[in-house]
Amino acid sequence: MDYVSFFQNLSNGVLIGAVYAMIGVGLTLVFGVMRTINFAHGDFVVIGMYFAVVFNSVFGWDPYLTLIFAIPLGFIVGALIQKVLLARVIDAKPETMMLATLGLSLVIANLLLLIFGGEPKSVQVSYAASTISLGEIRISVVLLFAGLATLAMISALYWLLNRTEVGRAIKATAENRLGAELVGINTKKIQAIVFGLGMALAVTAGVSLIPLLFASPVTTGALFTLKAFVVTVLGGLGNIGAAIVGGLILGVVEVLGASYLDSAYRDAYGLLVFLAVLLVKPEGLFGKTVKRV
Amino acid sequence: MNKHILILVGLFVAAALYPMTPAAFITVGISVLLFTGWATSWNLLGGWAGQLSLGHASFVGLGAYFVAIGSSQFGLAPWWSVLLAMLVAAVMALIWGKLTFGLRGPYFALSTIAIAEILRLIAINEGWLTGGASGVFIDTLPEPMGIDLFDKTTQYYLALIYAALTIAVTIYISTRKFGYELKAVRDNEEAAMAAGINPTVIKLKAFVLSGMLTALGGGIYGVFLSFIEPHIIFNLLFSVQIALTVIIGGRGTIWGPAVGAALLVISGEIFRTTFAQANMLLYGVLILVVILALPRGLVGEYAHRLIRKKYANRA
Repeated sequence: MDYVSFFQNLSNGVLIGAVYAMIGVGLTLVFGVMRTINFAHGDFVVIGMYFAVVFNSVFGWDPYLTLIFAIPLGFIVGALIQKVLLARVIDAKPETMMLATLGLSLVIANLLLLIFGGEPKSVQVSYAASTISLGEIRISVVLLFAGLATLAMISALYWLLNRTEVGRAIKATAENRLGAELVGINTKKIQAIVFGLGMALAVTAGVSLIPLLFASPVTTGALFTLKAFVVTVLGGLGNIGAAIVGGLILGVVEVLGASYLDSAYRDAYGLLVFLAVLLVKPEGLFGKTVKRV
Repeated sequence: MNKHILILVGLFVAAALYPMTPAAFITVGISVLLFTGWATSWNLLGGWAGQLSLGHASFVGLGAYFVAIGSSQFGLAPWWSVLLAMLVAAVMALIWGKLTFGLRGPYFALSTIAIAEILRLIAINEGWLTGGASGVFIDTLPEPMGIDLFDKTTQYYLALIYAALTIAVTIYISTRKFGYELKAVRDNEEAAMAAGINPTVIKLKAFVLSGMLTALGGGIYGVFLSFIEPHIIFNLLFSVQIALTVIIGGRGTIWGPAVGAALLVISGEIFRTTFAQANMLLYGVLILVVILALPRGLVGEYAHRLIRKKYANRA
């Protein structure tokens, strides 16, 4: 076994997995307080990608610079979507809200298609091919930036959830919505905030990834929605720490699977692991409650 | 005998006469009928048994591939290929259901996506089995009693018989014990169990029936397309399309899928030039409208209001 290439793959897997983790954390956070799976989550990632594409082609901005606008805008748009659309079906069956997000996903993807056309778009950056050498292992600068963006966002989220009043309210709402309402928390507002946070995280992931890949309106969104499902179900829905581990696992499994097994099945490895977890331990690898879901 | 059978017979006659009208759009008619059939089949599992499947394109693909490969590689007549496909679909649904019916709500829907995606990747990558990413052609078909199966009018009547069959099956089930068992499982699994119903068995039956009927329609679709590409036929969005057709039309109703199919396919045709590839926008907007304003779907909401009116007058 060639150790250099193994560690090379491992580092790539961990870095790409970090971005998956950021996407998954957003999804799991939303599931925690709204008890629904957001089918539009991957489309939020694509919105981030197109945001960077537009700013790059119009103003020539570096994608990472656009994060200054992308994060707050993502938060506001997400909160608005929750307030205008999802808040109306919050008390219906969980499946109804899931279908609402599925409709939202179709609307977003097809609007992007109408605006930008079906041709895949990307952002060319001068450092796209640059690497940093760490011994014999080379780390792509873009992947490193993406990993750092994840680290920053997740640290900020950790701080928000554990050190602020809003964060405590979010955790309380996730644990028991009725109980949270009884102690005076405005859970409607918390849900809007959390949906905004979820979208901000997804948008950041999209902006971070755009120098690496091409975005096309319909297929890229579905791909990332699936990846987000895999990441969150791996660890257990609603559990943030588990989503981070799930993201790293998915990144490593994909990269290792693609290089040591058949690369045509790159996207299948994650799905197989996902299906196995779903069937054997549906509460997730780190889920504590053993109950039928 | 009930009124649904009369409606079905009436619609069948009207649809059978349609190709003879001067301005008939045969291919649109075939699409409406095939979608009606698939949606009605999906409804058995998704509406009556309440299990939201987002993987039914796999069964369409199965039927289409069996017909295509049967004719291009083994010289097998399409009707035998379709029968074979239905058998395989039944086995597939049985295994699929056994694996996933322990899961509830969103988890079941997610598992269907995962399985359908894995099947799609297999269809694309296993060239020896499926002709790979470039797809399969159907170039020759037998002519039973001199009927040309490549003729669009023939295909129209095949699709019509298929759609009518699925609706007839639904009408039959709705009057039988099985129909009530399905509804019981959907509405409250614990209560159904307490009444002596085994939910998993009921769901499995629904899934097997639904899968077989969907594969049958897939076979006709294969003949209709005569060129099958895995990207298109196994696409997740195709599964979503089938599911949303029913949900917009009305889940768990007899006519909801047909109404949904007619509405969506025809309006899709009308807006074809406006939206081009973005034709799924319509599904997205309509599903949001239905969820916010008509949670039972078009037909479901209509029936609900009719019943309320009837009993309001009586009281």
